[in-house]
Amino acid sequence: MEVVSYRSVETFVQHIPEVTALGVWIKAIIILAVISAIAGFGTYVERKVLAFMQRRLGPMHVGPYGLLQIIADGIKLFTKEDIVPQNANKFIFMVAPVITAATAFIALAAVPVFPDFTIPEWIPVIGGTFVPSIAADLNIGILFVLGMMAAGLYGPLLAGMAQANKWGLIGAARTAVQFLSYEVVTGLSILAPIMIVGSLSFVDFNAAQAGGIANWLVWKQPVAFVLFLIAGFAETNRTPFDLLEHEAEVVSGYATEYSGMRWGMFFIGEYANMITISVIAAVVFLGGYSADGMGWLWIMLKIAFFFMLMLWVRAAWPHVRPDQLMWLCWKVLMPIAVINVVITGIVMMV
Amino acid sequence: MGLEQFKNRNVGQQEYVMLDLEHTPQSPIGKFKQVVKRTFKPELFVGLGVTMREMINALFRGQMHTIKYPFEKLPISPRYRAIHEMLRLLESGHYRCIGCGLCEKICISNCITMDTRYDENQRKEVSEYTINFGRCIFCGYCAEVCPELAIVHGQRYETASEQRASFSLFEDMLTPIDKLNLQQEYDGFGAVTPNADENIKKTPLAY
Amino acid sequence: MSEVKTVENMVSITIDGTTYQAKEGEYILNAARANDVFIPAICYLTRCSPTLACRLCLVEADGKQVYACNAKVKDGMEITVDTPNILEERRAIMEVYDVNHPLQCGVCDKSGECELQNYTLELAVDSQSYAIQDTKREVKNWSTVLHYDAALCIVCERCTTVCKDMIGDAAISTTKRGGEPLDKAYKETMPKDAYAMWNKLQKSIIAPSNGTDYTNCSDCGECTAVCPVGALTGRDFVYSSNAWELERVPATCAHCSSGCQIYYEKKHTSVFDRSEKIYRVTNEWNYVSLCGAGRYGYDFENRVESKDEAAFNAAVEAFKKAETIRFNSVITNEEALMLQTLKEKMGVKLVNPDARAFQKFLDAYAKAAGQSLYSYDFKEVMATDFVISVGASLRNDNPNARYAFNNIQKMNKGAGLYFHPVGDTLVPTFGKNVELFTHKVGLEEAALYLVLDLFADKEKLPEDVKSYLDSFKTTATKTVKEKVMKNVTETVIDEETGEEKQVTKKVPEMVEKEVTVEKNALVEMLGKESDAFDATFEKMMKKKESFSMIVGEDLYFHDRYENIAKLIALIEQTTPIRVAMIPPKTNSLGVALICDLDDEATGYTVGYNENGNFRLSALGNGDLDMPAMNQQEGTLTNMHKRVTPTNAALEYNGYELNDLMKVLVGAPDLTVDWTEKLPVSKGFKTAKFDDLPNGYLNDGTENRGYALENLSCEAEAINVEKIGENSVLEGEIVYRCNPQRQFNDFTDKAHEIFEGFGLYASPAKAEALGKKVEIDFGDRSITVDVIEDDRMEGDITALADFKSEADVYSLFGPSRYRKVTIRKV
Repeated sequence: MEVVSYRSVETFVQHIPEVTALGVWIKAIIILAVISAIAGFGTYVERKVLAFMQRRLGPMHVGPYGLLQIIADGIKLFTKEDIVPQNANKFIFMVAPVITAATAFIALAAVPVFPDFTIPEWIPVIGGTFVPSIAADLNIGILFVLGMMAAGLYGPLLAGMAQANKWGLIGAARTAVQFLSYEVVTGLSILAPIMIVGSLSFVDFNAAQAGGIANWLVWKQPVAFVLFLIAGFAETNRTPFDLLEHEAEVVSGYATEYSGMRWGMFFIGEYANMITISVIAAVVFLGGYSADGMGWLWIMLKIAFFFMLMLWVRAAWPHVRPDQLMWLCWKVLMPIAVINVVITGIVMMV
Repeated sequence: MGLEQFKNRNVGQQEYVMLDLEHTPQSPIGKFKQVVKRTFKPELFVGLGVTMREMINALFRGQMHTIKYPFEKLPISPRYRAIHEMLRLLESGHYRCIGCGLCEKICISNCITMDTRYDENQRKEVSEYTINFGRCIFCGYCAEVCPELAIVHGQRYETASEQRASFSLFEDMLTPIDKLNLQQEYDGFGAVTPNADENIKKTPLAY
Repeated sequence: MSEVKTVENMVSITIDGTTYQAKEGEYILNAARANDVFIPAICYLTRCSPTLACRLCLVEADGKQVYACNAKVKDGMEITVDTPNILEERRAIMEVYDVNHPLQCGVCDKSGECELQNYTLELAVDSQSYAIQDTKREVKNWSTVLHYDAALCIVCERCTTVCKDMIGDAAISTTKRGGEPLDKAYKETMPKDAYAMWNKLQKSIIAPSNGTDYTNCSDCGECTAVCPVGALTGRDFVYSSNAWELERVPATCAHCSSGCQIYYEKKHTSVFDRSEKIYRVTNEWNYVSLCGAGRYGYDFENRVESKDEAAFNAAVEAFKKAETIRFNSVITNEEALMLQTLKEKMGVKLVNPDARAFQKFLDAYAKAAGQSLYSYDFKEVMATDFVISVGASLRNDNPNARYAFNNIQKMNKGAGLYFHPVGDTLVPTFGKNVELFTHKVGLEEAALYLVLDLFADKEKLPEDVKSYLDSFKTTATKTVKEKVMKNVTETVIDEETGEEKQVTKKVPEMVEKEVTVEKNALVEMLGKESDAFDATFEKMMKKKESFSMIVGEDLYFHDRYENIAKLIALIEQTTPIRVAMIPPKTNSLGVALICDLDDEATGYTVGYNENGNFRLSALGNGDLDMPAMNQQEGTLTNMHKRVTPTNAALEYNGYELNDLMKVLVGAPDLTVDWTEKLPVSKGFKTAKFDDLPNGYLNDGTENRGYALENLSCEAEAINVEKIGENSVLEGEIVYRCNPQRQFNDFTDKAHEIFEGFGLYASPAKAEALGKKVEIDFGDRSITVDVIEDDRMEGDITALADFKSEADVYSLFGPSRYRKVTIRKV
């Protein structure tokens, strides 16, 4: 595999091969396949890590160390009966999980996942095709991603409202409240780094932090980083903010009536979103990827760190109550984010 | 103790530790102080630290708690009362049961029955012995009353089966003759106490 | 009868500070028991002589240590049950009993009802101070039913005592054990009585008294009942069940007219077969003794799974067209009343040969005696000290009568006369004052006349009887005198060399009696030397105060039964003798009182446990099943003139007679609803079945059911006839008589009773007859096996009648003896 180095925007532009439609297709398929697989693998990792933190073994029986558990789970999900409740709005009920999964993957289109490469010539038909790191290198990448993730709100919302189930309805209400509220915090918190970099493109963010750990935006915008992380947990419906399907309160929230692969799609969407948030956090605050020899490994480790953090937090921390969630968002995080933006602006002006 | 007294009794009053908890602040400034205090106190990170420490303990210090149950089993207390076993004499291999019927008599759920007969060696022989495990409550009286330590509670606590009767015959409970060397002495109900010798008076013998 | 026996003088005694009333002359132990005071005792049996083997009943009476089982109460006696010294003795005795007694109570049949266990715990023996080397003692089977484990035996001698004093077999006795002698040091250190008891115990063990390994007895099993430990057990019961598992059902034994109180002890058959089964029969052995049939003949139940409606409908049809119902006396009073109701409402004939004969005899007796029933029950008989038996084969006809006869000899220092044509080797062994008259068949009247002659108050006798009796007397001067005179002279000379010692000794007496000695032709007629008998009789009569007579089946089936009944009434009128009768079969007395019986069966016959065109059977071989006696409730009238309840021990799912009654003539719900309808005019009471008790009180009072009322009726003048010489039979004679443990089809069905159906003969006769014979009764004949009975004597053989199939009753007709031709087959 050819490793292309990105020293700067200039060299990047000079060296960039032509992005063909075929390349984008291939990239899209890769994203779909790999992220789906990683999402599946994520469930395995999550179960394992949680188990270890509770001094358990986690899945052990399917494959060595339970590695094939995801396959077993997959088989199970695919073969389970697809139940649609009698009084549900059937079309919306069936479409809702697709929305969740689709928006999660669409968001990934504008995120740099894996380095770019050219398919070796000896492979027939697609040989020589250049596969870019970003499927769609939009110059408003961050905005697109945030927008898509916000649109993902429709998945749980519609699912909860369509299934004619009180737990689902409460789950849907919580979805609307939680996602919309924390969208504000996400947006405001990332606004400050955007102001500093002056671009919405991930490539620009990456370039702005090149040159070592000292250049990482996290040092310039620690408050924004923390706010973004907190909001990210909320956006991805993770502990301590997993109120949408908090089983102790609302059974399974919006997913109460779902079974089989439809339920699985919510799951994949959630894990895809976790990866997306991890990638954004890594690229925006932790210096992104480096074109140097082991740069791809570093970005992997950074993403993995954020993913791990989510699991770790789940193992350690309890849930918050819905009212605490709202209180935190509107009375604490949002003001801080605004103040952070203002201070950033003042500092930049000065 | 009467019922009323029983209900009103003080259970372990002395062992309660009263926590000096702060009251929830009412004033806005108080609430703000609490938020600041909680925000900058690293309690959340203590939680993270604990879980991480446990993970490291589990993975690298061999403190994993999981027992892979069907393959591994925890040792159970000798006083545990699982499915009964009928033991044999170690010297001769003959079963210990003498058919005295005490277990049958003491059984409070009436689940033990036995048939005895006069055998060719002028001894009492147990011709049939059964325990109805559909009724047995595993109280352990039979093992406790047995004068020969013949019926004991074993360690086999996995008692799910298609037919309960399949556990209940004498042969099922009897130590297989080829596994006599693996027969464990029973320390639970009815076993000889470690200080048994001190508690008995010796009978004089004329030879 | 004498006043002393009936009106007991009560005395007051003080036990541990409390004053009680006791009968004068009673043993302290019995007085205490009657008053519910506990005195420990192992070896004593209430109705037998004290053996003094256990010495546990040691008490202090008026400051002296006595054995409560052996010392009689005196007025004002002060008794202390426990003194420190006595407690020490008792504890030492129990410790001695526990020396070398195996401690494997777990495998002992007696565990849970063992007196050794009980007393060891009662006296709190928790350590052992004595020891001696054990002797090897082997387990033995004494007979087909007796199992003796000598290792468990504590030689309390209850078995030997009961066998001798009650049963009369004396088949077991103590023998040498061959054990080590006691350590001399014990004599100094041990309590005195404990040492003496141990010394005796260590030397003896129980064994068959005939010196072999096998008992020669009637296999009654009473020794197993009285055994306080697990030494003596029924062979079939050994290790089959623990005592506490068995449920006791109080009942009345339904095999013979004794109607003994028994308990059926039952539990499930096995682990896999949960239906209940009787494991053994037990009794209140202090107050009642069973025979082998009662103890071992318990598994005669008729197992019926369900109601056979077709057979039932057929039975209803059969009853509708029946002219006769044939039945035997193994039925309850209630069933008898049902059959009587059928007779009254449907006009059928009731045929029951045994009860019919007894009924006729009773009627004849009642007319002569002026009372509906005989005077004594067998408990009263047992209290007398002179007993006469006429017309009953004591050993076979009724065990209770035999036990009474024997017990009188042993306990009351009594005497007995036994009149019977069939020679018996057992009866003379009951006591030294028992005289056996083996008379010719048909001479029962002569026996009764002899009784009149011996006992009657001559003033009261009618003139004709008196003169008839005198006509037998002759003064046989010649022969007697000559002999005596010669002896006198010879004895003077040859005192040292004389072989005729007896004669010589009696010389002075004979000389004195010379004038009064008469020859009584009655005695000669009954087969005894008149003068020798006179001497023995005089000895027998010494210190005798109360007299009783047992009469049996031979008299009811005698062709001159009416005259015999009158003679008996006359005996009661003119002598102190009171009579008790043995009803021939289980409930013959009840049936005789309840039913109007007919003599001949005619037309279509329904048989109830008997042959008939349609057969109801509790044996499982009939057209419709009926419950056997251990499967039904009801009452039986026994020979003690008592109506006793019996209970259902085992399940019965079929139809019973009451169901037939409901369809035929209408009947109450339950069989036992008939109990209160039993005829009061015959002496029954209107008692409800559920109110009838069935047990004994501590003082031995029989608290079972109720006693029949002996109603007085108008007495006719007694005109007795002379001895009917025509009824004497000679030649080859067969006697209708069952072996010892067989009474009916039900005993035959029981698996522990082995006596077979056949012709029983004395050993000499049996040898002469060979193995199998054909008995020709003239019109019919029967082919049977010959079975040797070594307790029989003489040429008369006994044909069993317990098999209703063989229909022995109709072979014999109205007599119990028949002249026959016997051919070897």
